[in-house]
Amino acid sequence: METLSNYIADYLELSGLAREILYAVLIVAVAAGVFMVALTISGLLTLAERRVAGRIQSRVGPNRVGPLGLLQWLADGLKLIMKEDLVPAAADGPLFRLAPYLVIVGVFAAFVSVPFGQLLIAADLNVGVIYLLAITSLVTVGVLMSGWASNNKWSLLGGIRAAAQIVSYEVPAVLAVLSVVLLSGTLSMQGIIAAQGGWPWHWYLFHNPFTFLAFFLYFTAAVAEGNRTPFDLPEAESELVSGYNTEYSGMRFAGFFLGEFANIYLMSAIATTLFFGGWQIPGVTPEQQATSWGLQLVGLLIFVAKASIGCFVVIWLRWTFPRLRVDQLMSVCYRYLVPLSLLCLAANAVYMLLIPAGSMIDRIIHYGTAAFGGLVGLIFLWRVFHHIRSVGDRLDLNVLARGQKGRFDPRIQARRYGKFRKKRYSKETG
Amino acid sequence: MTEVLQSTPDREELILNMGPHHPSTHGVLRFIVHTDGEIMRKAVPDVGYLHRGLEKIAELQTYPGYMPFTDRINYLEVMFTNMAYATAVEKLLGTEVPPRAEVLRVLVCELNRIASHQITLGCITMDLGAFTPFVHLLRERERINDLMEALCGNRLTFNYMRIGGVSQDVPDEWLKQLEAFLDHFEPVIDEFDSLISYNEILIKRMGEVAVICAEDAVGFGLVGPNLRASGVDWDVRRDLPYGAYPQMDFQVPVGMGEKGTVGDCFDRFIIRVEEMRQSCKILRQCLANLPEGDIKAKVPKMPRPPKGEVYSCVEGARGELGVYLISDGTPKPYRLKWRTGSFAGLSIIEHISRGLMIADLVAVIATLDVIAPEMDR
Amino acid sequence: MGSFSEYLANIGRSIVTLGDGLAVTFSYLLRKPFTIQYPDRTEKPVVAMLPERSRGILEIDINVCTGCSICAKQCPIDCIHIEVVKDEETKQRVLKRFDIDVAKCMFCGLCVEACPVSGLRHTHEFEGSMSDVHRLMLSFVDKPQPVAKPAKKDEPAPETKPVGSIVRKLLADWWKPANPTSGGPR
Repeated sequence: METLSNYIADYLELSGLAREILYAVLIVAVAAGVFMVALTISGLLTLAERRVAGRIQSRVGPNRVGPLGLLQWLADGLKLIMKEDLVPAAADGPLFRLAPYLVIVGVFAAFVSVPFGQLLIAADLNVGVIYLLAITSLVTVGVLMSGWASNNKWSLLGGIRAAAQIVSYEVPAVLAVLSVVLLSGTLSMQGIIAAQGGWPWHWYLFHNPFTFLAFFLYFTAAVAEGNRTPFDLPEAESELVSGYNTEYSGMRFAGFFLGEFANIYLMSAIATTLFFGGWQIPGVTPEQQATSWGLQLVGLLIFVAKASIGCFVVIWLRWTFPRLRVDQLMSVCYRYLVPLSLLCLAANAVYMLLIPAGSMIDRIIHYGTAAFGGLVGLIFLWRVFHHIRSVGDRLDLNVLARGQKGRFDPRIQARRYGKFRKKRYSKETG
Repeated sequence: MTEVLQSTPDREELILNMGPHHPSTHGVLRFIVHTDGEIMRKAVPDVGYLHRGLEKIAELQTYPGYMPFTDRINYLEVMFTNMAYATAVEKLLGTEVPPRAEVLRVLVCELNRIASHQITLGCITMDLGAFTPFVHLLRERERINDLMEALCGNRLTFNYMRIGGVSQDVPDEWLKQLEAFLDHFEPVIDEFDSLISYNEILIKRMGEVAVICAEDAVGFGLVGPNLRASGVDWDVRRDLPYGAYPQMDFQVPVGMGEKGTVGDCFDRFIIRVEEMRQSCKILRQCLANLPEGDIKAKVPKMPRPPKGEVYSCVEGARGELGVYLISDGTPKPYRLKWRTGSFAGLSIIEHISRGLMIADLVAVIATLDVIAPEMDR
Repeated sequence: MGSFSEYLANIGRSIVTLGDGLAVTFSYLLRKPFTIQYPDRTEKPVVAMLPERSRGILEIDINVCTGCSICAKQCPIDCIHIEVVKDEETKQRVLKRFDIDVAKCMFCGLCVEACPVSGLRHTHEFEGSMSDVHRLMLSFVDKPQPVAKPAKKDEPAPETKPVGSIVRKLLADWWKPANPTSGGPR
């Protein structure tokens, strides 16, 4: 940011006040840009969620608005904007209205230090990781506030659950992240990526068995912080109706909704940064990448692809698992995740003491862990094909299935669906 | 109900109104839940939101004319309600049902049992937060609905049975389609098991939760899978045989306490999975030994049963489904009473609710398989 | 140490069972969707995809109806209204009204089973949504006409119109604006 501002200022030969004004304008522009990017990402994720869910459930999912249904999220957003913004009579008005903004701000502000590319980061803070963990805690306040201010017993229960859950799961998440910080020796997001490499065995995921474990701990804790199944107790549709956002409608509801989906992308992006080598291109050093615009673009694409796979996994988890109970949620956190992440932290410290970086043993452990990861993947694939075979289904890779095209005169149906369709069909059939 | 609402609660108590429009109360059912935070002190059910007077309607209809109304007792076990009513009237009239009709009745009943258990199991998993197993089972149920539509013309309200037999014989190729469905469905049950049944989260949610001991189960009059899950080995199909069931060879699954104690939610869940397997077995036997012959006995168009009363019961998907019928010699029943499993299942909830969590109440309602229309009638 | 091995066994069991569940859902990403895309992206109209016995909206071919009213008596909810009067001039029984209230009908099929001349039957039509519930009263008799005579034993059964053609025509009429015979409120 600052370098960019200086660069432009130098180019235009500005000085003094003009420099400051330019800097201020740039800050606002970048903030707006980050907001738009985050908004688009979370919008697209709502669509992705519905398509993936549809496919998992032998359905098709939304595919009518725009090509392949790609504009569905805009239609949904439009619908939510048009809806009445209801504030219940018994609700605590100001708090009720404020809560969604806290959630949005908490999540979207975190996008500031997401390293989409080597040079494409709004602010490479030197305390990046800590900043991310801190700013997302604002969500807790928003959720608790909404639960309280709704003046609805179900919302209150949801809000309390959410607060207890998010605060508890911060602990294992931070401990797991600290393992990586320990290895890289920096808190800066770019620094952590630069310390890794392009190939999988250079990633921190496969650095040693304990970082491998740390990744899963971080991921579990992050899913819980994002209130996603199997940890979606604050919403818990079948128990608490809709939890803390029961009373919300229209754009305020959309605020929670977008916050949730932006959070998914955020946690995937953090996981990509910490464990998956971020924008590193296999076989290209960061110095080489810095010199070429083309490589920058490839790096961006690699980052987005990795983060999207992370998002997919979160969505996929949601459509597979049942929900935990409140006491079980806490016992998972404090009996399993916290001790294990402490173990990871300690083991990584010992690892750094005993095994010098770059030595033969170090590299063998990298390759070994990567091979183990690959083996787990293969076993998983075997199970997948086993399940397809056992029911006697065929493989169908047409993932974007639009459904069969109609092969009969649609005017027969048009009669039943009113003028709108009649017009469209008459255009199609001439 | 009024004393529950009006009694002044402890200062520590939170009274929650769960329902009648709550996502997990399966229709319109209402609970007044007294909680201490997440832990329940008491859950008092409130019924009657779906009362349609189906017992009174019987008194205004002729005997054959009431058959379509039995479809509406419970939208998930239509064949059983059909059959319970048909057998009751046949007992009054002293009609002998032809053997082909008897086997056809068993066939459609077992097919209906699979469909009903699919919904139940799906609802259990959905109430515990997993949506996909529900949709997968709904997809399989769609195949059964298609078979039923080809057989009797409707997907949900079959109205297939008649006094003295069944309405239509099986169409061509139908038995082959049924066999193909069974070949497809048996592996799907295994797939369902690996998808969700033995999922650790689900086991944690259901094992040791809301244990109903055998004594309580008998005392509250639980029937069917709920009773058997508590370790009481009682099945109307085997112990009070009716129709073509004596010819069939099948096991009655009983709760084993596989992942906890006998009579917990997991037993009630897994016993239904097992019953689907047994139903498949019975269906294959029906296919193998379907006798030729008439499908309907000779019954007058407007039967006038002699004066008398009769109780007839069948083993429905929710247990013993009974009809108590009094005839006064006119073409219309004098009085008809349904005895359904859901009502007994509901009555025990208040007894076992103490100390459970709100999330457990959802599991209890789902595993007891409480269906509002059957309860209220 | 028993509890610690149990602790590890818990973790192991969770990973295996949850992983297998994930494998099942992932495998569905690679299988064909089961649903069809009603109404416009199907291979043929859904009405044509229904099995033969499917019970849809009722229709009566008044050219074979003998006006015996057995169907109306069989109907448990009285949704069939028949009016037969004797014409003073020709001394013939005249079918004046044959209405079926589709809004009331529960598609049980008892009337169809009872019809002695197979004039009353279920069609496969089911898409009859209306903005006004009274318009769901289907009137099959436009102007009074003499009832048909039941066929003798050696005679062939009278020809009936193709199943569904009558109802399709009535439903199509409904959509025409300001149609006086479109079954307004009675």
